Amino acid sequence: MKKASQICQSKLPDNTALKQQQLPAYRLQLSATGVLSGFFATGAFCLGVGIILILSAKSIKEIEIKYTKICANCAELREDAINFDKECTCSIPFYLSETMQGNVYLYYKLYGFYQNLYRYILSRSNSQLVGTDLKDVGNCAPFSKSHNGTPIAPCGAIANSIFNDTIILSYNLNSSIHMEVPMLRSGITWWTDKYVKFRNPTAINLSSAFTGTAKPPFWSKSVYELDLEDTENNGFLNDDFIVWMRTAAFPTFKKLYRRLNRVQYFIEGLPAGNYSFNITYNFPVTRFKGEKSVVLSTLTWSGGSSLFLGLAYTVTGAVTWLAAFSMMAIHLMLKEKRTLFIER
Amino acid sequence: MFCSKKKSLEVERIVKANDREHNEKFQYADNCIHTSKYNILTFLPINLFEQFQRVANAYFLFLLILQLIPEISSLTWFTTMVPLVLVITMTAVKDATDDYFRHKSDNQVNNRLSEVLIDSKLQNEKWMNVKVGDIVKLENNQFVAADLLLLSSSEPHGLCYIETAELDGETNLKVRHALSVTSELGADISRLAKFDGTVVCEAPNNKLDKFTGVLSWKDSKHSLNNEKIILRGCILRNTSWCFGMVIFAGPDTKLMQNSGKTKFKRTSIDRLMNTLVLWIFGFLVCMGVILAIGNSIWENQVGDKFRTFLFWNEGEKNSVFSGFLTFWSYIIILNTVVPISLYVSMEVIRLGHSYFINWDRKMYYPEKATPAEARTTTLNEELGQIEYIFSDKTGTLTENIMTFKKCSINGKIYGEADDGMGQKTDMTKKNEPVDFAVNPQADRTCQFSDHRLMESIKLGDSKVYEFLRVLALCHTVMSEENSAGQLIYQVQSPDEGALVTAARNLGFIFKSRTSETITIEELGTLVTYQLLAFLDFNNIRKRMSVIVRNPEGQIKLYSKGADTILFEKLHPSNEDLLTLTTDHLSEFAGEGLRTLAIAYRDLDDKYFKEWHKMLEDANTLIDERDERVAGLYEEIERDLMLLGATAVEDKLQEGVIETVTNLSLANIKIWVLTGDKQETAINIGYACNMLTDDMNDVFIISGNTAVEVREELRKAKENLFEQNRSFSNGHVVFEKQQLELDSVVEETITGDYALIINGHSLTVYDQWFITLFNIVYTSLPVLAMGIFDQDVDDQNSMDYPQLYEPGQLNLLFNKRKFFICMAHGIYTSLALFFIPYGAFYNVAGDDGQHVADYQSFAVTMATSLVIVVSVQIALDTSYWTVINHVFIWGSVATYFSILFTMHSNGIFGIFPNQFPFVGNARHSLAQKCIWLVILLTTVASVMPVVAFRFLKVDLCPALSDQIRRRQKAQKKAKPSRSRRPQTRRSSSRRSGYAFAHQEGYGELITSGKNMRAKNPPPTPGLEKTLYNSTSWIENLCKKTTDTVSSFSLDKTVKL
Repeated sequence: MKKASQICQSKLPDNTALKQQQLPAYRLQLSATGVLSGFFATGAFCLGVGIILILSAKSIKEIEIKYTKICANCAELREDAINFDKECTCSIPFYLSETMQGNVYLYYKLYGFYQNLYRYILSRSNSQLVGTDLKDVGNCAPFSKSHNGTPIAPCGAIANSIFNDTIILSYNLNSSIHMEVPMLRSGITWWTDKYVKFRNPTAINLSSAFTGTAKPPFWSKSVYELDLEDTENNGFLNDDFIVWMRTAAFPTFKKLYRRLNRVQYFIEGLPAGNYSFNITYNFPVTRFKGEKSVVLSTLTWSGGSSLFLGLAYTVTGAVTWLAAFSMMAIHLMLKEKRTLFIER
Repeated sequence: MFCSKKKSLEVERIVKANDREHNEKFQYADNCIHTSKYNILTFLPINLFEQFQRVANAYFLFLLILQLIPEISSLTWFTTMVPLVLVITMTAVKDATDDYFRHKSDNQVNNRLSEVLIDSKLQNEKWMNVKVGDIVKLENNQFVAADLLLLSSSEPHGLCYIETAELDGETNLKVRHALSVTSELGADISRLAKFDGTVVCEAPNNKLDKFTGVLSWKDSKHSLNNEKIILRGCILRNTSWCFGMVIFAGPDTKLMQNSGKTKFKRTSIDRLMNTLVLWIFGFLVCMGVILAIGNSIWENQVGDKFRTFLFWNEGEKNSVFSGFLTFWSYIIILNTVVPISLYVSMEVIRLGHSYFINWDRKMYYPEKATPAEARTTTLNEELGQIEYIFSDKTGTLTENIMTFKKCSINGKIYGEADDGMGQKTDMTKKNEPVDFAVNPQADRTCQFSDHRLMESIKLGDSKVYEFLRVLALCHTVMSEENSAGQLIYQVQSPDEGALVTAARNLGFIFKSRTSETITIEELGTLVTYQLLAFLDFNNIRKRMSVIVRNPEGQIKLYSKGADTILFEKLHPSNEDLLTLTTDHLSEFAGEGLRTLAIAYRDLDDKYFKEWHKMLEDANTLIDERDERVAGLYEEIERDLMLLGATAVEDKLQEGVIETVTNLSLANIKIWVLTGDKQETAINIGYACNMLTDDMNDVFIISGNTAVEVREELRKAKENLFEQNRSFSNGHVVFEKQQLELDSVVEETITGDYALIINGHSLTVYDQWFITLFNIVYTSLPVLAMGIFDQDVDDQNSMDYPQLYEPGQLNLLFNKRKFFICMAHGIYTSLALFFIPYGAFYNVAGDDGQHVADYQSFAVTMATSLVIVVSVQIALDTSYWTVINHVFIWGSVATYFSILFTMHSNGIFGIFPNQFPFVGNARHSLAQKCIWLVILLTTVASVMPVVAFRFLKVDLCPALSDQIRRRQKAQKKAKPSRSRRPQTRRSSSRRSGYAFAHQEGYGELITSGKNMRAKNPPPTPGLEKTLYNSTSWIENLCKKTTDTVSSFSLDKTVKL
């Protein structure tokens, strides 16, 4: 008998909270008061955030000018790839009725450009762009090698299709004085992009670093001579290039081009008055029935938000409150009727 | 180590004893067995082949192959490779360990030693080296090494006893006996070595109860049947040795022939899942087609122009071909729509549940020191959906322990005290068992508490003496003295054992018997009765009698049997006593006791002699022998004098009544399959509350009538028997787990859908995210919930068996639920996609930069998804343990840490091509608007769910909701909970005759066949009664299998 009891002891499962499913636990219970007050609170919060977002979105000043049609002659010229070396400029005057206070940002915006195409997105080589291996053109097909077999740098469809219009904003102080609005190129890229993701190959100078590579077929200049004014802004570290390489999620997208340098006349922002955009039209969009535009915009605390988020919050808040009220009504109506099965 | 394996179609087996060369010609399998599936070399190919036969793995492999085609590869290979390798490695490791243990046990079995006659000498030989035709010696309590033809044994007539528990689960001993020609060989090694009989028999098969063959030896042929065969897996009992000749060895033995491949059992959830997975697959194909058509149209309308400008090769201009490629790409991208990982999660959850079952102290049986054991993990959740329980009676409902509870002797009831009902209070010393200390030979395990009976014995009440004498004389019990000199009874029916033990404790000790005498000790004096005739029990007679001559020379007939039968045989003078005893019997029966009536008759010397002569004549007859004998028995068993009645309790297993009550409240129908008499079965049914007085329909299916019914029932019994092992107390736990598993299924599907439906448009997510989503971010909390969740605590689920019903009705997981889940998933994914889409459209970050780049969008959505899914799981977790906290918070934390790691500079520096998201998390998650989007997405996806759930609980609360609510209220009010009072049955049912007897033992006794050698050998005079030496054994077997009668009930629970 004693022996048997010893065996019992050894086979008896351990009396631990885990094994006996007796872990101390909190039981989550959706109580009526809890749920309803939660709903009311959430609704209030959403409504509040929604209204704030709408108000701040309204405070944003934004000007957008589509220039495909305005510069129709240029667009027509670009339809045919043969004219790639013919320069075409286009000036778009506009009147700013209100001062744009604070920081002003200049964007270019493309319509109908599918930068989110799966194979387009893949057509790049990060190891090339980080400067370690210029010859690594792994995924870049069909823009990996030039006709004579030299690797393209930067390779791939994204790089090849870079947005190459030049946009210059000039302020017409009066009919005789036209001044170029000072713009900053810095700070338009992500820090990690500029300092981690994109590096130039190390060499005495850029042109020697890129020897043995070919420029992308659609490019008119080599990668190391993109910016003739600022030598630092060349190679893979060209800001416009980096911005372009961060592919957009939707076929309609705007990318930051320049930001206002707040000096002289422009300390407060962009004063009201006559302006014009001087655009060197290079990027063809009519072939894929696309459009391009320039955008000037200010920001608010949450960024350059559109109305959507504010509206969505407001609607969600309203619906939540509606639901909360109807739930409360149902709950109160049923309260008297309900007799619990158990108590019966 | 490895056994040779040969396969050839065998029609007939010819085995010659002691002639290995002769037998080798036939290339019969030797006695080496291997249940293992693999060896080191074959493991990898065979295991992989087996694994890829599973749909899930094959599907993964198919995807992997698709992904290796560059034209359509939309995800990199590792998205599929990682989970596939993970699953396959885990399974392979499990299979390998399983097989390792199989190898070990095979080795252990194959290396067991047994004594084999080789070269005229007994030699120890490993089991695996035993060959067909060898003569093997077995000793008591040894396992039988192969299927043997019994040649001789230590017992007279070549009898031997075997236990077949390993083969058929029956624990009672079975008798086998050798041919008389071979039993003469005895233990004479030289004669055995010369034995050169040839056995021609059937080819190996799996029929445990059939054997046909012929032994040719010394120019004569002897037919062989199953009674001469000892099968591998049996254990030799009560026989000091026996010799046998190996007929079938190793894989040819009936045991091994029966151990076929274990059939994979599927639960209804599995089946439902399979259907749903098929539908989902269809849905996936549809999606693929729709998207491919969409792609073709897009290519045609837009992409055509776009790609000439961009980069497409001329050859790929064909939009239809592009659509075709897209179709496959989408099949790959959307592959997570098919919740293959669900199978894995379910496996893990089931494994967790089976551990909980094994660990449960409440399912621990201290008497036998056995914890519950979940033998298969695949069927756990089915335990929550049981509709029918098929139960065995003996050993499951009842302990198969009979205790002598009460008796009525000459109109007086004895043994009232321990009833505990307090009706009779005339006891002086209540509840104190009778002290048997005066009787040194008393069996202490049996307690009988009535001092009045002891006093009656002391006073010398002749009726009481006679009553006890019947108990001590009229039975088929065999006595034996063990090494300590204690008297041990070998009983073939526990009722009899109880009666004989009761008599023994009361001073009438059955000491020993020979074929013609019975010696008992009557209050200290040894008395030897001459056994003149044994009127055996059978199903029609329902009684048994012995005719003995006592030392004074009087001839007496002692009889015990069913009251209904015996009362008809009484002498008219017994009328008063009869009415009194009948009342007592009703009382006993009302308490669920099994009753027997006891009577005697004084016989005239002359009358008996005449009768005995007639009996002997009748026995020599060939025709109508049985009828004549029965008539003679009838003739002498009349004018009986009633002595009284006994009441034996067929002890119910502990907790049976409560369990059965709970089960019926849970709307589980119980079928009991039993070999008992109908009366016994009904009696037990009432005793354990299965049948109640207000029950209208009691169906009793008797198997004798239709063979098919019997077959069906037998099959059902076999299938379900396993699961009912942990019969009492078990269902609580099953309850819990069922509910959990269902919610898990739900959850995972929702999660998957959220992911999946988002997958459309493009591979929006980071590829690593897709790879890890199911494995890391969301599976652990789901698993934790699946394993640890308890919607209702154990006490309450015990108290409200009605909770079980939703599981039976499949209310918790069915197709409707699935579609609701799917709709929910679609809604969530739409919210997850379109809210960020709308919010990002034309939006810049707070530093003026563009935020709607593809990578930021992916990060936003992935983060929203993980948060939404976590909140969802948190809402579904009703029972928050530490582990749930750890897993839910942990998985969110893991998500962020993995996110930041993967987007870190360091890892990008090492693998720039694999981790292009560098800096993304840092940049995106610093944006206010992104957090606003995540917040809105979460609110929008979670709020409707909460609302629906709230309304559901409010409008039509399920029982579990109410109980949960009450549970909470209770916790506030008072910590103590009271258990439901147990209902004690009060039935007016009349107990039937309950006598678990088998026919044939009487003959065994009178023939002296089962007597030990030390007993005087049977006298030749009685040898005459051995008309057919084998018939009784055949009868025995026939009887045990024939009476599969059962009853069932089907009642509705009134609430």
